[in-house]
Amino acid sequence: MSWLSGLLIGLQEIREHKFRSFLTMLGVILGVASLLAMFALTAGIASGWRDTMQQLGGLERVGISDKQVSLEFADLAALSPGRTLADAEALRGIPHLVSHVSPDMQVGATLSAADGETVSARVTGTWPDNFTVSQHEMAAGRFLTDLDLERGARVVVLGDAKVAELWPDEYGTDADFLGRTITINGRPFAVVGVLARYEREQDRRRREAVARGEQAPARLAMGGRGPGRGRRNMFSWKNESAIIPLTTLYHEFRSGEPDSPPLTMAKLDSLNFRVRNLDRFDETLAEVQNILRGTRRGVDDYDFDTREDWFERMETSLRSTQISGGLIAGISLLVGGIGIANIMLASIAQRVRELGVRLAVGAQRRDIFLQILAESTVIGVIGGLLGLGASVLLLELLGRLAPLENPPVIETSAVLISVGFASAVGVLSGLYPAWRASRLDPIAALRYE
Amino acid sequence: MTATPDRPPAVDLHDVRKIYGTGPDPVAALDGVSLRIDPGEYVAITGTSGSGKSTLMHLVGCLDTPTSGRVTVAGEDISAAGPDRLARLRNRSIGFVFQAFNLLPRLDVQRNIELPLVYAGVSSAERRQRAAAAAAQVNLTDRLTHRPSQLSGGQCQRVAVARALVNDPALILADEPTGNLDSTNGADVLRLLGSLHAAGRTIVLVTHDPAVAARAARIVELRDGRIIKDAKT
Repeated sequence: MSWLSGLLIGLQEIREHKFRSFLTMLGVILGVASLLAMFALTAGIASGWRDTMQQLGGLERVGISDKQVSLEFADLAALSPGRTLADAEALRGIPHLVSHVSPDMQVGATLSAADGETVSARVTGTWPDNFTVSQHEMAAGRFLTDLDLERGARVVVLGDAKVAELWPDEYGTDADFLGRTITINGRPFAVVGVLARYEREQDRRRREAVARGEQAPARLAMGGRGPGRGRRNMFSWKNESAIIPLTTLYHEFRSGEPDSPPLTMAKLDSLNFRVRNLDRFDETLAEVQNILRGTRRGVDDYDFDTREDWFERMETSLRSTQISGGLIAGISLLVGGIGIANIMLASIAQRVRELGVRLAVGAQRRDIFLQILAESTVIGVIGGLLGLGASVLLLELLGRLAPLENPPVIETSAVLISVGFASAVGVLSGLYPAWRASRLDPIAALRYE
Repeated sequence: MTATPDRPPAVDLHDVRKIYGTGPDPVAALDGVSLRIDPGEYVAITGTSGSGKSTLMHLVGCLDTPTSGRVTVAGEDISAAGPDRLARLRNRSIGFVFQAFNLLPRLDVQRNIELPLVYAGVSSAERRQRAAAAAAQVNLTDRLTHRPSQLSGGQCQRVAVARALVNDPALILADEPTGNLDSTNGADVLRLLGSLHAAGRTIVLVTHDPAVAARAARIVELRDGRIIKDAKT
C-alpha cells in the first residue's frame, strides 16, 4: 500500500466524521489563525515603520551634530570653525560614498501673502540636494535648482501646511499657488513649488474617506489619544517648511549683521548627507570623519546622528513581539497537536476490529502506520488551510471593528511557515497513535468487541 | 484424498506445541499436534470450547507462530516468522471467513472484496476486475455498490467469501461461518463452500457443530490440545 491510498483512507475517515474532525482541527485552526494574524500584524507594523523612516530620510540619511568638546581639548575648541559650509563643500568631494549633501540654515520669519494671511515660519535655506536628503515630494511646481542657488534667487518652496495657513480660503480647492508672490520679512519671493502633504498611510485613508462623504471610521478606543498632538508631529516639520536657496537666505537675512563671515565660514544650523551605498555605511562614516578632521582642524567637536540605532531598536522590538506572539500561537498549535493525538488514539480504539480485519487480509505494520499517519497529517493540513482562511477573516474583522494603525500584511513566507507548522503538527501528533496501531496483535484485534 | 507427490501440502504441522503464559502454571493450548492438509481437501476442525481448535486455526491461518514444532503453510515454514512476513503470507495464501463477517462498514461491497488486493499492491483497474469476478462467484454482482449495513447476514457472509477468494489463496479458512446466520442462510453459505471445494479449492472449516462439520470430507477432532480423531466422512 502506498502513501496515496493511506491518504485516501484518511480523507474518507474525515468525510465520515465531519464534525469530529472539525473539532479535532479546531486547535490547529486557531493556532494557525493566531500565528498568521500575529505575523500579518507585525509585518504591517514593520512596513509602517519603514515607510515612516523612508519619509524621514531613510537609513541613508546621516546628520552631523555638535558635540561638547572634552575638557582636555577645551583650549583647542576655539580653533575649529564648527559646522560650516566648508564641511558641506568637502563632503561633495567624495561622491562615490556620499550621494547628496544638504547644508541648512534657518531663520525665523514672517510670511505674508498679499491675497492671503500673514503667518510666522521657520524659513530654511538649503541646497537642491535637500530634496533627496529629506525625501521630499512635489505636489506642484519644482524644487530649488542649482541656478537658484547660484543666483541667490528669491524663490520659495512651501510645505502643504504653510499653504493652508497663507491661503486658508483657497486651500483644498483647485487654486494654483505657483507663481504667486509672498513676502518673507518684507522681501518678495516667488512661490515655485508646493510640497506634497506628508502623513501616515492611515491618516490619508481616513481623510479621503471623509472627503468622499463617508463617516470616518471610529478610532481605536484604547489609548485615548486624540487626533493630532504628538502624532502629527512626526511629519509636521516637513509640512510646515518654507524652503529657499541657502545663498538667498544668507545674503538677504544673515549677512547684514556686523562682522559677518563669508558664506563658506558661516555656521550652519544643520548638516545632513545621504550615504550612497548602505553596504559601505561604516566606510563612508570613516571617510567623512577624515574629511571633517581637516575642516575642523583636528578638533573632535561633532557627532554622527544616524538612524541605525533607531532601526535596530525597531527590529528588536518587532522580533520580541513576534517571539511572544509566536510562543502563544505555538502553544495553541501544540494543544491542537495533543488534541489530534488524543482523537486519533480514541479513533483507533474504536476501530480495533477494522484494523484487525486489515491485518488479517494482509496489511503489514507499515501499512497500518501509514494509514493512521496519513489521517492525522490530512487533519493537520486541512486545519492549517482552514486556519489560513480564519486568519483572513480575523484580520478583516479586526480592521472593521478598529482600523489598525498599520494595515496588516500577509506575507507568503508567513503563510508557508504557518501551514507548514500545522502539517508538521499533524504528522508529529500522528506518530504515536500510528505506532500504537501498527503494534496491534491481529488475533486480539479480531476478537475485540 | 491422497497427496500428489509434486504438490506441497497446503498445510503441514509437525509436533506443534503452543503454550500460553509463563511461570509456574503455563497452559498448553496445543500439545504435540501433527496434521497435514493437502491441496483440494475440505477439512473440518472440530472440538468443544477450550479444545485448542481456535489456537490451531490461528496457526493454520498464519496469525500466530507455535511455541515449538514446525508449521508450514503453502510450502513456507512460518515457525519463526515475524509479524510482517506472516502478514504477507496471509495476504497471499489465506482467505478468511469469520463468524462475524468482519466487513468494513464504511466501504461498499466492491471495496470490501478488493481489500486483500490493496495490500497485495494490485492496481486499481485490476482490483476492480478481480473483485467483480469474485462477486460473480458468490452471486452478488448486483450488490457491488451497497454497504454491508444494507445487506442481509447471508449476503454479508457471501461478500466475506468473495473477499477470501479474491487473491486466489492456497486455502480458505472459515471460522464458524454459520454461527451468526439462521439455518437457511447458514445452509446457503455451506452450499457455497461445498461448491468452491468442488471447484478445487482447499477449505478448512472450524466449527463446534457436528452437523456443520459433517459437510466436510474429513473431520479432525481436538480435545485438550490433542487430535483425538481424524477421519474421512
